[in-house]
Amino acid sequence: MGLVSAYLRRGWTILRSEVLVLPSRLAVLLFILALAAVPLFTQDYYILRVLILTSIFAIFAASWDLLSGFTGQMNFGHALFFGVASYVTALLNLDLGFPPYLSIPLGAVGGVLAGLVVGIPCLRLRGSYLALTTLAFPIILTGLVFAMPDITGGELGLSGLSRLTGSRVGDYYLTAGLVVVLGFVMWKITDSKTGIILHAIREDEVAVRSSGINTTRYKLLAFCLSGFFAGIAGGLYAHFMRLAGPSTLEVSLSFQVIIWSVFGGMVTIYGPIAGVFILNPLMEVLRLVLNNFPSLPEIRMFIFAALVLVTLLFMPEGLIPWVRDKLESECPRCKLRNIFFRRRCRVCDTSLA
Amino acid sequence: MKTMKWFGLVLTAMLLALALCLPAGAAAPIKIAVLGPMSFTQGEGHWNGATMAAEEINKAGGIKVGNQMRPIELIKVDTNEFLSIPDATNAVELAVSRHKADFLVGGFRTEAVLVMQDIAMDAKKVFIGCGAAHPALCTKVTKDYDRYKYWFRLTPINSKYLGKVDFILLGTVAHIMKKTLGIKKIKVAVVAEKAAWADPIVNISKKLLPAKMGMEVVGVWRPSPVAKDCTAELAAIQRAGAHIVFTTFSSSVGLTFAKQMGELKVPAAAVGINVESQKSGFWPATGGKGAYTETINTYARVEITPKTIPFYDKYVKLYKEAPNYTAGTYDALYIIKNAVERVGTIDSDKVVASLEKTDYVDTAGRVVFDKSHDVTWGPGYVTAIGTQWQDGKIMCVWPYHWQKVFYKGTVPYKLAPWVVDYWKNKK
Repeated sequence: MGLVSAYLRRGWTILRSEVLVLPSRLAVLLFILALAAVPLFTQDYYILRVLILTSIFAIFAASWDLLSGFTGQMNFGHALFFGVASYVTALLNLDLGFPPYLSIPLGAVGGVLAGLVVGIPCLRLRGSYLALTTLAFPIILTGLVFAMPDITGGELGLSGLSRLTGSRVGDYYLTAGLVVVLGFVMWKITDSKTGIILHAIREDEVAVRSSGINTTRYKLLAFCLSGFFAGIAGGLYAHFMRLAGPSTLEVSLSFQVIIWSVFGGMVTIYGPIAGVFILNPLMEVLRLVLNNFPSLPEIRMFIFAALVLVTLLFMPEGLIPWVRDKLESECPRCKLRNIFFRRRCRVCDTSLA
Repeated sequence: MKTMKWFGLVLTAMLLALALCLPAGAAAPIKIAVLGPMSFTQGEGHWNGATMAAEEINKAGGIKVGNQMRPIELIKVDTNEFLSIPDATNAVELAVSRHKADFLVGGFRTEAVLVMQDIAMDAKKVFIGCGAAHPALCTKVTKDYDRYKYWFRLTPINSKYLGKVDFILLGTVAHIMKKTLGIKKIKVAVVAEKAAWADPIVNISKKLLPAKMGMEVVGVWRPSPVAKDCTAELAAIQRAGAHIVFTTFSSSVGLTFAKQMGELKVPAAAVGINVESQKSGFWPATGGKGAYTETINTYARVEITPKTIPFYDKYVKLYKEAPNYTAGTYDALYIIKNAVERVGTIDSDKVVASLEKTDYVDTAGRVVFDKSHDVTWGPGYVTAIGTQWQDGKIMCVWPYHWQKVFYKGTVPYKLAPWVVDYWKNKK
């Protein structure tokens, strides 16, 4: 009993001194609580489907940020990892009977291998050359998918996969839980020493190399890590939709993930997650609002594009960093963040004025 | 007291008026979700066909469910399936769980329909497919009947039979050319857009034409589905001495190819699948150069059944274009109506049992569902038709006394005059 109360006291202390002191962390806490509470208020299949897909795409978008945002390796073909993992997951599930808790992680390993396949030839490329080369990979794989219909199902894809958990609420808690857990893991990776090196590679790769760090290894690591998390998203998608098809490799999906990430705010991990959680449900809200409007997809896409453009015009670093910077300020001495109305730093007491 | 009396009187009168205004025992509508990519011609076809049928049925009082006449309420579901599969599934889930659709009709892209099918099966809603041709959608019914029994496919005929009709059309034209031009061995140029769905047709053509049909394949050409210039392919086809160009086109290249073939007066007959030439806009879009193009089709102004011409004329009058095969939602609604009226309920399981007993003459033929809930193909059932552009009109040219099948209004196939001149002079 004493142990429990000790843990509770410690938890409360962390909550009070680490979470409640910063609006961004409070917002994350509220977001997690809201995610957990949704099924208590509604179990509407439509709402849960939208939120499940949103969670899957949020993991996918954060994985893009881990590679392209942090390392600066601009990947325009991120759907490759998603698609490879969804096909591997589907094959393992359909042909070998692997349950989702095995097929999804193994599918993610497929994403890692895809990361290596893309990463190795792209190591010497930068900027637009890298972007265009990465763009080519999912297109090549789409060709292979169509060339081997006996294995990949061709145009139809592979359908009839096992369900994720067997219930919509279960699927929801699994995907929502994974957003939180994997989002936190990715954020911790970027906050670690490895993350700092990835940052540095983006800023000045030559300088990093001249300081004795093997940048090739770190860039490959970034490709593999990104492939793994995108692969988890691809596996979840395949099991939730019960289908892995050529649409998982489409160029539009690769572009969509960039739009979500840039809109939410790159180089943050939580920015892309928030970007997906804003834009994806928004598209569904527009569907409901514009229900009887002719040319619904065009109008929705127009509003979507206009919103993204306007946001980026006034918030070039993305929506979430802009909001965060309005609510918080950085201590010039210890670099810790403080709520905007504080006059002195909460840790080193330096004047914030 | 007097004021109270007046008040009571006025209140009673108001309530009476209100009661008179309300329709007595207004029946709840039967909700039918129409699924399709509504910004594209396929989705428009879905919606137009369903709207036409719903208006006709409602005008006649609705669907008789037991002792009640219930009107149809259509739910327009823009699946946007060409661009986004998740979008399509969200839209269908919305229709099923939020709008409480009782039945679903439509769908087009097979990959998307597979997922839509699952959503409908989860909700145990009858879903009549009117757009996707792949047989895999129906084999699920035989493999797992209890889950997939709510799925039926109405239009078009499945791709296996589309292939069969494709080769019958080719064989017919070859026969005509042999007979009228005295050609001994027909040379065929196989031209298929560079798309996965066209690959099996190309592969079968290469084997079947020489081995079983006594024809020579002079070459295979695979232009891009969006090619804007096919002159190089056409020049090569002409050099190869092809008598027939066996086409497999579903996208805009069909328009380009047909137009340039007419402009260059390539001495060969174009036969096969050319989806663009199924549309009314084909003639003006090719400036009449697409004349004599032949394709598999579902509708033409021909008496496939007594219902075809009235449906065709009304559709053209309302929507200023000929119906394409996704407009088969028109028949789907009548098939649902009949099935519901037979059992007097909209309970899915009972309606499925009733649908399995369907023997209904619709606008495209006689519909009888087989064990896989697919339409039965063959003489006396749904066959599809072959149409050819003749003098600015899309004319039915097949079946023309094929297996004793002849639809009133069918005309003989015509060879282009420049084809006839070329091969007669060559002799």
